[in-house]
Amino acid sequence: MSHDTASGHAGHDSRSYGAGAAGSGASAAGTAEASGNAPFGAGAAGMERILHRETHSSRAVASAIAAVLVIVLCVFALLETAVRAIGQPPWLVDPELAAENIVALPDGVPPLLLGVLGAVVAMAGLFFLLSAVLPGHRARRLLRDRRAAVVVDDEVIAAALARRARLAANVTQQQVMVTVSRREVLVNVRPTSGVPLSADAVLAAVREELDAMAPSPMPEVRINVASAGVIGA
Amino acid sequence: MNSTPRILNRILTGLLGILLLALGVLLVLLAGVPAAGVWWQDWAGGVWSRWSGLLDRTRFPGRQESWLWLAAAVLLLVVIGAMVAWLAQQGKGRAGLLVAEEDPGEVPGSVRIGGGVAEQALRAALAGRPDLAGATVATYEIRGEPALKVRVQPRSGVASHLLAAEVSALVEALDAVVGKRTPVLIHISSGARSRFGRAERVR
Repeated sequence: MSHDTASGHAGHDSRSYGAGAAGSGASAAGTAEASGNAPFGAGAAGMERILHRETHSSRAVASAIAAVLVIVLCVFALLETAVRAIGQPPWLVDPELAAENIVALPDGVPPLLLGVLGAVVAMAGLFFLLSAVLPGHRARRLLRDRRAAVVVDDEVIAAALARRARLAANVTQQQVMVTVSRREVLVNVRPTSGVPLSADAVLAAVREELDAMAPSPMPEVRINVASAGVIGA
Repeated sequence: MNSTPRILNRILTGLLGILLLALGVLLVLLAGVPAAGVWWQDWAGGVWSRWSGLLDRTRFPGRQESWLWLAAAVLLLVVIGAMVAWLAQQGKGRAGLLVAEEDPGEVPGSVRIGGGVAEQALRAALAGRPDLAGATVATYEIRGEPALKVRVQPRSGVASHLLAAEVSALVEALDAVVGKRTPVLIHISSGARSRFGRAERVR
């Protein structure tokens, strides 16, 4: 099982990142093919927009939840009003009686129940409001390519860097953990007890892999070698 | 890549969020602050008495019920319809045709190439690779133009830039077959299969 993690989901920290084609100084040195300084999306028309859409959340899940919530409430209200309109007895609550109860509100309901209900409703509101307002970055990066637009999940980058660090440090898979956040790559290595480990060599190997990959935005690399070693790895 | 209406999503979820937040804060205030309760009973009582007066004045001639209930039911139906329409917009944008053009040759008619051609060709080309846990190809329509989305799930540890270069070489081969440069998006993604499957050890 892999220990690679990729953190940094929908905009919980303040990162600035412009739309797709901002060719922000990410060096394309040593990219596998001769993609050179090709723009992201290989210059195809409309690709900037596609790349922006791929690296930002569409809020489809929040929207679906909101729509279903409104539909459920409306169907219930529809039932009650329709029953009322044709002069039949109410199904669960009579709308007029409900309105009178709501007007009388702090009375008739235990304050604790009312407060908890309010808190839950406010939390739901906050969830919808934040999902609408926050920038909604997805943990993805762009790669340069000659022909196609390429989007890579941060988790895939973390796995590739972890493999490289593991080979450079000559340790087992369980001793390396790489975390990719928006601005930073953190390589955690636990050395094997009694075997010296050169942090600089591992760092150089990870940097080399990252430079070859040249993702945008380009993260900084930090390494953290644990002081306690692993026995018998 | 699909044509989910993102601005509409933000506006509508934001509106609902503000509404729910205001309602929740009001409920908490009613529960905690006695002065808020007094104000609420006064204000809401005024609003409700106006509405109930309206309900009394709008009765069907010779009947007990107000026709406002019927109007409310129609309004609710409209809201439900709008919500269903909004829900149906999410994730839309798949297309069936990769190429649809007038044939410039001697024979009158047009040429159409289904998206399945590209999808199946690329999927077959990617199927045998040991470093991939899965690959899917789909055709989308971006502003009336067809575009391909290739989603590959590499096993953990595969270098993504090398994989991207190899997939884009396949796409170039496809260009030669179809005779048209379609916009292509390669999405190198992680999923349960790449996370929990065996790691790629030899390349």
